[in-house]
Amino acid sequence: MRNLFFLLVITGLLVNFSCKKTESERFTFLTGAIWVTDSLVANGQDAGGPGQLLADFSGEARFNKDGTGSFGNYTGEWSFSSDETQLVIKTNAIAFPVTADIKELTKVSLKLTTVMPNPMDIQNPYRIRMTFKAK
Amino acid sequence: MTRCIITAIFLLTASAIQAAVSDGVVRGKVTDKSTGEALPGVYVLYGKNQGTTSNDKGYYIFSTQAEKLTIVFQLVGYGALTREISFSRRDTVTLDVSLEMKIREIDQIVVSAGKYEQKISELTVSMDVIRPALLTSNHITDAQEMLNKTPGIEVMDGQASVRGGSGFSYGAGSRVMALIDGLPFLSADAGNIKWQFLPLENISQVEIIKGASSVLYGSSALNGIINFRQADATNIPETRFYTETGIYGSPRNRNWKWWNSPRFSSSASLSHLRKLGNTSIGLSASVLYDNGYRRLNDEKLARIGIRLKHNSSKLKGLSYGVNLNSGFTKAQDFVLWEDGYTGALKQSESTAITLHGDFLSVDPFVSYSGSGRTRHELKVRLQSTRNRFPDSEKNNSDAVSFYSEYQGSLKPGEKTGLTFGICESYGKINSEFFGDHTSLNLAGYAQAEYRPVNRLKAAAGLRLENYFLDGIADKLVPVFRTGLNLQAASYTFLRLSFGQGYRFPSIAEKFASTTLGSVKIFPNPGVQPETGWNSEIGIKQGLSIGNISGQADFAAFLTRNNRLIEYIFSYYQDPVTGIPDFGFMATNVEQSRILGFETEFLLNIPAGNVNTTVTAGYTWLSPVGYNRITHKTTGVYLKYRRKHSASLNIASSWEKFDFGLSLYAKSKILNIDDVFLDPGTREEILPGFYDYWTRNNKGYFTLDGSLGYKITPRLSLSFVVKNFTNTEYMGRPGDIQPHRNFSVRLTGNY
Repeated sequence: MRNLFFLLVITGLLVNFSCKKTESERFTFLTGAIWVTDSLVANGQDAGGPGQLLADFSGEARFNKDGTGSFGNYTGEWSFSSDETQLVIKTNAIAFPVTADIKELTKVSLKLTTVMPNPMDIQNPYRIRMTFKAK
Repeated sequence: MTRCIITAIFLLTASAIQAAVSDGVVRGKVTDKSTGEALPGVYVLYGKNQGTTSNDKGYYIFSTQAEKLTIVFQLVGYGALTREISFSRRDTVTLDVSLEMKIREIDQIVVSAGKYEQKISELTVSMDVIRPALLTSNHITDAQEMLNKTPGIEVMDGQASVRGGSGFSYGAGSRVMALIDGLPFLSADAGNIKWQFLPLENISQVEIIKGASSVLYGSSALNGIINFRQADATNIPETRFYTETGIYGSPRNRNWKWWNSPRFSSSASLSHLRKLGNTSIGLSASVLYDNGYRRLNDEKLARIGIRLKHNSSKLKGLSYGVNLNSGFTKAQDFVLWEDGYTGALKQSESTAITLHGDFLSVDPFVSYSGSGRTRHELKVRLQSTRNRFPDSEKNNSDAVSFYSEYQGSLKPGEKTGLTFGICESYGKINSEFFGDHTSLNLAGYAQAEYRPVNRLKAAAGLRLENYFLDGIADKLVPVFRTGLNLQAASYTFLRLSFGQGYRFPSIAEKFASTTLGSVKIFPNPGVQPETGWNSEIGIKQGLSIGNISGQADFAAFLTRNNRLIEYIFSYYQDPVTGIPDFGFMATNVEQSRILGFETEFLLNIPAGNVNTTVTAGYTWLSPVGYNRITHKTTGVYLKYRRKHSASLNIASSWEKFDFGLSLYAKSKILNIDDVFLDPGTREEILPGFYDYWTRNNKGYFTLDGSLGYKITPRLSLSFVVKNFTNTEYMGRPGDIQPHRNFSVRLTGNY
C-alpha cells in the first residue's frame, strides 16, 4: 500500500501543478499598470480628439487579471492570443472582437496596431496605431 | 520465370491441402447455455500452445495430427469448459458445447487503453465499446451517426467532441484522434477525420477512450480517441453482405420541402473473411448513393478494403501482412442554407461546390510475440488524400502522410508490464488552398503498469514529442498520465486517472485561405498548440440478478484546456496578402473548464424465448471559460456545447423477429459565435438564422425504431424508421439534421 500512497501523492501534486499557472511577463506587465493613451492614430492622422474616430478609446485603459477590462469609455473583455503576440478585445460597443497586434509591451509602454473597417471607403480600411504609457 | 513461380505456388498449395487432408478435423459450435445464442470469439485451446477461436456464428474448426485431445473452451465472462476426445486420423469429429455465462460485459477485451489486450473493467480510464451489431440493427452507414448515438459524444458537422471537449471549428483540426487498428486516420492537411472512408463494412469493434490520451496516441488525442478495429478471419470462412434502400419523408415544416420526386438513398456492402493455411484474408467493398434531403447536397461513395495477415510456420509468434483501404467520393457538402424561412433545406448556390475526393492507405506490419511475455511490432501507414474541386481548382489539395511506429511490450512478471515505442509521422501537402508544406512529428513513449496487490493496478506513462513544420522545430512537448484501478469487490471496479493532452494546429488552421459564400477564412501562421488535462474518478459495477446480467458505470470528470483554438469572426488584415476584410481566423483565445458526470448501464434480460438488451446513458456537462490566473470560471459557456444528453436503447429478439427502439434526447446549444446573432452581420452571413435560432434553440428528443425478420438463419430482412417523431433539430448553425426517413435492408451472413 505504500506504493499506492506514493502514486496518489504524485498524482495529487501533478494535478495541483497543472492547475497553477505562473503569470507570464507579458501578463504581469499588461495587468500590472493603469495605461493612459499617449497617441491614437488612424491612417497616419491623430484620431483621438473629441468627435474623432478613436475618441472613445481616449483616456485610461485597464486590463484586469480576471479577463475584464476598461478601454477609454468602453468596458469589455480581453485575452491574449497567438502566444501573447496579439490582444483580442471584446466590447459591447463594437459588433466584433478587435484583434490587435502587440508591437511593444514593457512595464511602462504598450503599443498596439490593428485595422478597422472604413464604412465610407470599404477598399481603404483604417490602419490604427494606439500607444499607451503606464500611469 | 512467371510460369515457374506459378507452378511453385501451385505445388506448395497442393501439398499444404494434402497435409491438411491427412489430419483429423474437429469442428463444432459454441453456444450460450442459457440463451442458446452462438458465442463468437471463444478460445478453443488444444495441445500445447495451439488454439483457434469461434467465428461470429459460434463455429470453430481445426485440424490436428493427435489422436487424443483435451480441448478447453474459454471466453471471458463464461465458465471454462474442458472436453476430452479421441479419434482416428482423417476422422472428422463434431463437438458442440454450451458455456455457462457469468458476468460478460465487464470482461470485454479491449486494446486501445494500453495498446495491449486487457479487460475493460481493469482500465484506469473511461471507455465505450461499440459492436458492429449496432450498425446492422440501426442501418447505420456513417460513422458519425454511430458516434452520435453514444453517450457523451457529439459529432457536429464532422467535428467529434468527447464530453464537450470540442465545439465546431469549420472542419479544421480535431481534438479527438481517429484510428484504424491503432494507426492515425487524420488527414495531413485539414487534420480532420475523413469519416466517409472509415471501413465500416469490416469492423470487429469500435473503442472510444473518453479523456486525454496523448501519451500513447500523441497530438490530437487531446480529448480522447476513437479506434476502429477491423475484423480478422477465423478458421471458418465468412461472407457478409447487405443491400439497403431508403427514402426521406417530408419535413415537419412543409415550407421547407423543395422536392417533387422522392429523395432516395441506397447502399450495399460485401465482406469476406477466410483463412488459407496460415494466411488470413479479408476483402470488403461498399457503395453508397444518397441524393439527400437537401438541395445541392448529395453523395456518391465507394470503398474497398483488403487485409492480408500471415502467421509464420517457421518462427512461432511471427506474423506479418498488409492492410489496404481505399475510397472515392463525389459529393456536394452542405455549407450554408439559402434562408431560414423556405430555404433551410436548400444550399445557397454561392457555397455549393462539388468535391471529388479519394483516399488510399496502405499499412504493412510485422509483429513478433515471444513466449507471451514480450511483443515487438512495427507498423507503417502510407496514406494519401486528394480533394479535387472541378469548379474551383484553387481549393484543390493533395496530402500524403507516412506514419511508422515501433511498439514493444514487456511483461517481466505477473505484477508488472511495460509498453513503449517510438514513432514518426511525416506529412507533405501540395495545395493552392493551404500552400505547399511539410510536417514531421517525432515521438517516444512509455507506459508502465504495476500491481502491488492482485486487486490493484497502477499505470503511469510519459511521452516526448517534437513537431517540425516546414523544417522549423517547435519546442519539445512532454506529456504525462497516470491512473489507478481497484477491484473493490468481485464485480466492482473503482478507477482514478489523470492525463495530459496537447494538439499541434493543423495545416488548415495555420494556412487555409478561402471564401465560402459570404464567409471568408483567414490564415493564421502564428496560431499555437493547444494543451490540456483531464482527470476522472469512476466506478464500474457488474450486475447479475438471476438470469439478468449487465453492468453500470459512473464517472465524474474535470477537464481543463488552455489556448484552445477557436475560429473568431473579426476584421482582419490577411497575413499573406495584407488585404483587410471581415472573416474567421483560427485564434488561441479560449481557456476552458469542463466539469461533468456520466452514467451508463447495460442489461441483458433473457425471459423465455425473448431476449432483451437495454442500454442507457446520460451525460451532464458544465463547459465554461476559465481564467487560469484567477482560478475562476468566466461564466461564459463554451460554444457549440450542450449541458444534457441522454439515450435509451431497447433491443429484443423473439424467435425469428428482432425489435429495436432508441430514444435520444439533447438539451439546447449553450452558446454560438456572436457573428450569427449580431444585428450587423447575422443576415448577411446566414439569412433567417437569428429568427430561427431564437424560436428553435431548445432541447429535443428523437425516436428510432427497427423491426427485423430472419427469413432463414443466414438471411434477414429489416425495416428501420429514423427520427420517427419527425423532430426538427439543428447541429451547427444552418445545419438542419435529417427528418423522418425509412429504410429496408436485406442482410446475409454465410
